[in-house]
Amino acid sequence: MAPVATSTAVIPASRLHGHHDRPSMVSVGTIVWLASELMFFAALFAAYFTIRSVSPELWAQDTALLNVPFATGNTIILVLSSVTCQLGVFAAERGQVGRTGSVLNVGGWGLREWFILTYVMGAVFIGGQALEYAELVHEGVTLASSAYGSMFYLTTGFHGLHVTGGLIAFLYVLGRTYLARKFTHEQAVTAIVVSYYWHFVDVVWIGLFATIYLLK
Amino acid sequence: MRMEAWIFGMCTAFFVLVTPSYWFITGDPTGTSALVMTTLLAALIAFYLGFHASKMDARPEDRIDAEIAEGAGELGFFPPYSWWPLWCASTAAVIVFGMAMGQWWLAIIGTAFGFVALTQWVFEYYKGDHAH
Repeated sequence: MAPVATSTAVIPASRLHGHHDRPSMVSVGTIVWLASELMFFAALFAAYFTIRSVSPELWAQDTALLNVPFATGNTIILVLSSVTCQLGVFAAERGQVGRTGSVLNVGGWGLREWFILTYVMGAVFIGGQALEYAELVHEGVTLASSAYGSMFYLTTGFHGLHVTGGLIAFLYVLGRTYLARKFTHEQAVTAIVVSYYWHFVDVVWIGLFATIYLLK
Repeated sequence: MRMEAWIFGMCTAFFVLVTPSYWFITGDPTGTSALVMTTLLAALIAFYLGFHASKMDARPEDRIDAEIAEGAGELGFFPPYSWWPLWCASTAAVIVFGMAMGQWWLAIIGTAFGFVALTQWVFEYYKGDHAH
């Protein structure tokens, strides 16, 4: 970046400071949007349970092919990534964007380190899901093979797309922290709303995991 | 914000009562799934508003003795203009159209342009004159 024109525009106060008496509009908007996202997943859950109730024989036959221990490990990684994401948010709330000591000193990690770790864990989850898909396709369960296959891939696939969207959002949060020399309130809010989304996607996965792998 | 939290809290209480009743009366998995998620929708917003209401000062609109002038000031950052949302929406349309028609080459081209548009949107106020 060229070292020019950094003082031409005055940064609006609303990008630098929050309010003491109201949450940021961005986070309120994110929560309302996530509530509507719940309705998107409601349609998927409703379709899953409806088809399951009319064709129980398909479920008896196809759920036996699921690799439950593998999916459990993958789930644990995703749940832990929510923890690391929240630790990143705590760092953002204290205004700490980067680490204070060496990379190995986890206690001194800032927003960037925690979000990079979260990103890696989310990417591992997606990789694990791709492996699982490959295994199931090998066993003959595809999107078109049966109603069970359609529901399995639609529910887990749309969730996987949401996780991928979250991964892209993490990159943009990190990009903003690297592009700006100053860590602003706006960047902290960005990190917080991405964490809301990440926790939401995580909770939806716990619901899907319980439905698909435990309840069957 | 306590009042808003109460409104969504009452909606949550309503759905908490209605959802199991619906299941026991009809045994219908479709509607029950939808009602469970509707309960969570109301609970999510009630929890969020209640959590912030307990941690923050009361807003002027929450107080009976507030003056109009106390509500003045910046409420948030609203970019005065931006073309990037238009390009993001256009490229999203191209991607979905390409997928729906089974034309994957079109979806790939749309994704490439979409990546540029989204990046420009996210970083618009972080570079050039707005670098800080």
